[in-house]
Amino acid sequence: MAGSGARRRLTPGSVLAGLLLGLALILVPAALLARPVAAATTVRVLMPSPFVDATAALVAGFNRDHPKLKVEVARGPLDTEAMSDLAIGGLLLGDSGYDLLLMDVSWTAKYVAAGWLLPLEGLLGDDALEAMVPGARVGNAFGGHLWRMPLTGDTGLLYWRTDLMAAPPRSTQELEAVARRLQAEGKVRWGYVWQGRQYEGLSCVMLEMIHAFGGQWWQAGSGRAGGHTELDSPGAIAAADWLLHLVRTGVSPEAVADFAENEALQLFAAGDAAFLRNWPYAWREIEKGGGPVVGKVGVSTVVSAAGISSGGTLGTWGLSLLAGSPHPQAAAEVIRWFTGPETQKALVLDQGYAPTWAALYADPELQQKHPLLAVQRQALEQGPLVRPLTPLYAQLSDLLQRQVNGLITSEGSAAAAMGRAQTQSAVLLESAAGQEHP
Amino acid sequence: MKEQRLNSSWVNSLLMLPALVLLAIVFAWPLLDSAWLSTQASSVLTGLTPLANGGANWQRLLGDARFWQDAAVTLRFAGVSVALELVLGLAMALLLHQPSRGRGWLRALTLLPWALPTTVLALGWRWIYNDPYGPLNAILRACGAAPFGFLTTPASTWLFTVLADVWKTTPFVALLLLAGLQSIPAELEESLVLEGASPGQILRRLTLPLLKPWISLALLFRLAQALGVFDLVQVLTRGGPAGSTESLALYAYLNAMRFLDFGYSATLVIATFLLLVLLTALGWLLLRRRALEPSR
Amino acid sequence: MKGLLLLWSLAPLAWQLYTSLVTPEALVSGSVGTSGSFWTLENYRQVWLADPPIWRYLLNSAVVGAATTALTLTLAVPCAYGLQRQGGRLRWLVTLALLATAIFPTVLLFLALLQLARALGLANNLLALSLPYTALCLPLAVLLLRAAFADLPPDLEDAARLEGMNLPRRLRHVLLPLLAPSLASTAILVFLFSWNEYPIALTWISRPELLTLPPAIARIAGSSLFTVPYGAFAAATVLGSLPLLLLVLIFQRSIVSGLTQGAIKG
Repeated sequence: MAGSGARRRLTPGSVLAGLLLGLALILVPAALLARPVAAATTVRVLMPSPFVDATAALVAGFNRDHPKLKVEVARGPLDTEAMSDLAIGGLLLGDSGYDLLLMDVSWTAKYVAAGWLLPLEGLLGDDALEAMVPGARVGNAFGGHLWRMPLTGDTGLLYWRTDLMAAPPRSTQELEAVARRLQAEGKVRWGYVWQGRQYEGLSCVMLEMIHAFGGQWWQAGSGRAGGHTELDSPGAIAAADWLLHLVRTGVSPEAVADFAENEALQLFAAGDAAFLRNWPYAWREIEKGGGPVVGKVGVSTVVSAAGISSGGTLGTWGLSLLAGSPHPQAAAEVIRWFTGPETQKALVLDQGYAPTWAALYADPELQQKHPLLAVQRQALEQGPLVRPLTPLYAQLSDLLQRQVNGLITSEGSAAAAMGRAQTQSAVLLESAAGQEHP
Repeated sequence: MKEQRLNSSWVNSLLMLPALVLLAIVFAWPLLDSAWLSTQASSVLTGLTPLANGGANWQRLLGDARFWQDAAVTLRFAGVSVALELVLGLAMALLLHQPSRGRGWLRALTLLPWALPTTVLALGWRWIYNDPYGPLNAILRACGAAPFGFLTTPASTWLFTVLADVWKTTPFVALLLLAGLQSIPAELEESLVLEGASPGQILRRLTLPLLKPWISLALLFRLAQALGVFDLVQVLTRGGPAGSTESLALYAYLNAMRFLDFGYSATLVIATFLLLVLLTALGWLLLRRRALEPSR
Repeated sequence: MKGLLLLWSLAPLAWQLYTSLVTPEALVSGSVGTSGSFWTLENYRQVWLADPPIWRYLLNSAVVGAATTALTLTLAVPCAYGLQRQGGRLRWLVTLALLATAIFPTVLLFLALLQLARALGLANNLLALSLPYTALCLPLAVLLLRAAFADLPPDLEDAARLEGMNLPRRLRHVLLPLLAPSLASTAILVFLFSWNEYPIALTWISRPELLTLPPAIARIAGSSLFTVPYGAFAAATVLGSLPLLLLVLIFQRSIVSGLTQGAIKG
């Protein structure tokens, strides 16, 4: 064996020289690439990839108009959870390197408790949210401070096929009946597609369903966790049971257990389903896609059980100011512009994003160009559902997803699964209560 | 071997010092730090500041159904995948040991799955398992079967995660066993052949007994690594569906990076570490006893 | 049998290569779609021009790999030498510690190392990342090199000493030249490890432009916003594997002999 190695005739000198040369070749260009050019005042914003593309032209315009203030956008990942991991990674290392972060509404309480955000009311005024649609205001201010300015007013929506029915269903029972009839007639392969994968999207679906059946996930109260869960209530169990029932009876495909927004959208856009639960962005995706259902899609608010009035889950994205920003004043100015009516109007027209300002919903030009606005306004005024406003939300959501996903992929009853979710939530909140007093 | 007193013990120690200091910082300190942190409440509720909370984290761990489920998942994963890897790795090593033309190339190509990054390969497997467009489903379709959701139900997801791990790490086991095969003098095998022993008998009477130390080494190494499985499940399944592939390491990671509960994350890290020590010690004792038997 | 072995090892990789080279229509339907072509380099163009481009990740990984390799060898050679020359209980203790750390799953270190990075300001720094990497590679490197030192003729160094050479000169002019093959195979294994490491990179690097390849790829995997972007995924995996593929094929003899030899002597 020694012979086989020696044939190579490497001297340590040549090995070392090769290594050093390789190192130099790599390090020198890396060092050159690493230094960004400093501008007057640069406000760095981290956003998920799609928002970077959507706002690129607007940001370029801003930088043209403001020679002293430069906005630099960093591209985060596409996926919400990956985005959260990236942002948290930077914040935990104490080296986020950003002034502003575009955040999902469900992260806010956690970030505030971790001490990562600066309150905005002092910089933007106490009435910063005043002119927004009521539904878009929730989830941004709590504990006496404003933590976030929403850029979009997304809520969960129900997409339906105008070529298959005259009007959208108004209750869960009606939705199921219509879907079943269309399936029986062979008009569509599947009735209703939604997000059933073990991820945050399933929690959004569950929140809507729990309220649609008269229950609630979270009861606000005292303590650091800020309340308690009610996942074993009859409404919550009925919600899980209905989703299970849809899968078991073939109204929804078994594959929903692995569906995120796009898998569901793909199936609906291919004309294979009568109903889809998704966010406002899906409208434009369907229209853009040029598939068989273009022009045959209607949008409505989500349905609830007969006799119960409920809403869609609030899924807005908004800008927050990170503690440690060297120039909060400049950063606040960028927030004001970025979430302001003009930017939002451009985003409605170019991207089909749902705005947050009441005035934009009343704008006749927008109403005409973007038919979704009327429904979106209704969804926001109807009282959109906010996911539990607690720093422990990520854990609560995770364990609910796990139970509901387990329910639709394995054996077991809804009552048992929701009972486990409730017990585990209680254990979690109890252990949190122990952390209240040092 | 006779001691060579070329340098004083002092010089030798000094030469080892820099490396040992770095090892202490990167291995010993983290374990001590995590052990300490597991007795603290350090979460989003304490503003990420550690506050002593006695054994509250450990108490929570004992009552945490998810911990026990993940522990079971991890143990089952390690047990099944390591067993498969040893069997397949031995077959692979025997094959690679046979003299033939292009043996070097064969060894190198076989080694590739082990040499490439796990995250890259996990992404590849996710596509291979894709329903309905992946190649496995294409094969099923060609055979006239319905498409199968490899990563849809808990049972099948677990199974196919094990398969991906076996594919990735068997070459490493094979390489270690190959080293063992190379250490067996060819004359011993020749003399058995002359006695008229069949290949099966040679394997049983000569190869396996002499390979035992290498099998033990491979077993210990793979067991420890498999108990800490993280990269593969994080990219391939993210622990789903319904937590069926969530390893203890992934749960610890989620607690720190997503739930911001460092006290509990540290508790999970230490619990995993204790499990690891327990199992490797147990494995070591068992193997040593077994290794002693034939010599009697 | 050998064909079967190759099929088992290479088919999944070959499928990635195929996926990266065909159009989405061809991938889904197996036939030439509306775009009129079957083969395409579009996937590679896409990942090469992405933001940040894939070459950036490759470069980052190469920087960490090179720094880790250099640092590991610098620390491992004296340690291996000292260990080989040392006798008694210390030698036994250090060897045991090295074995224990060599099999230790690195993911269990991420939490404390994260705090270390924060406390010492080592985050988002590729050269700093090579410090933990070096520590993680050291056990294997020292064990391999110690086996190589043990392989050298015992009288050689004595003769050099009688000629009046001091320790550094003995190492540089007498011992290391003979160790070159072992140094090369150790270097390659260290580079392989560093190229593939995931959990520490995931926690130490948060800036997108500084990511090494494994977390960058995992982050791509986390995205679900495009329909079936598997062509681009596959192109990324092929490009990420290519440097290692070349390394393994060129140095296959060193890797196999280095690992097997180390295992025999260790």
